[in-house]
Amino acid sequence: MKNNIRVERAIKNITQGELAEQVNVSRQTINTIESNKYVPSTVLALKIARVFGKPLEEVFILEEGD
Amino acid sequence: MKSKFLFPYWCRYLGWALVIAHVPMSIIGRANGMINPLDNPLANQALFTGEHLFFICTTLVMAVGLFIVAFSREKVEDEQIWQVRLDSLRWAIFVNYLILLASLIFIYDIAHILEINLWVPLFFFIIRFRWVMFRLNHSLSKEG
Repeated sequence: MKNNIRVERAIKNITQGELAEQVNVSRQTINTIESNKYVPSTVLALKIARVFGKPLEEVFILEEGD
Repeated sequence: MKSKFLFPYWCRYLGWALVIAHVPMSIIGRANGMINPLDNPLANQALFTGEHLFFICTTLVMAVGLFIVAFSREKVEDEQIWQVRLDSLRWAIFVNYLILLASLIFIYDIAHILEINLWVPLFFFIIRFRWVMFRLNHSLSKEG
C-alpha cells in the first residue's frame, strides 16, 4: 500500500508534527506511514483522510501484490 | 489511543531509580557478609531474617524496577508504539525460553535459572523496545 500523505500535507501546508497532533499519534508514526514502513489501522487511516477532507482511496492506494 | 495496564510516564524514572538503587544496597549488604539466599542452599528458611530482607532489597527491588520501566507509558502512546511493544515482548519471550530451555538442559542449578528468568525477559524487552524507539526517532531527526 502506498499513500499520498506527503503530497496532501504539502497542499494543506501542514507539517508532520501538526498532522500527528490532529490525529493524536506521535510524529514518528506519521513519518513511518509516509515512508511506507508502517501500515496504519483503519481507524487511523480514516482519521488522516478526514484531516485532508478526502475519501480514503485518494490518500491510501492499494498496490499490485497487496 | 487508550492504553490500559500501563504505568504513567513518570514511573519510568522511578523504575530506573529502583534498578540503580539495588546496586549500592547489594554492595553494602555483601560488604556486611550478607549472602543472597539463592547462592546459599543452606539458608535459613524463615521469613524476614537478615538474608531474606537483603534478598528483597536487592534482587526484588531490581526486578520490580525493571518491571515498572518496561511497562510505563511513552509520552505519546499510539498504535505503532503498541505494535513495537508487542513485537518486543514476543522477542523477549523467544529469547527467554531459548535461554531457559538451554539452561534447563545444561545446568542443574535451578535457583540461578530462576534468578536469570527473573530479569532476562524484562531486560531484553526494554533493550529491544528502546532500540526500535531510538531508530524511529533517529529516522525522524534525519528527515528534519
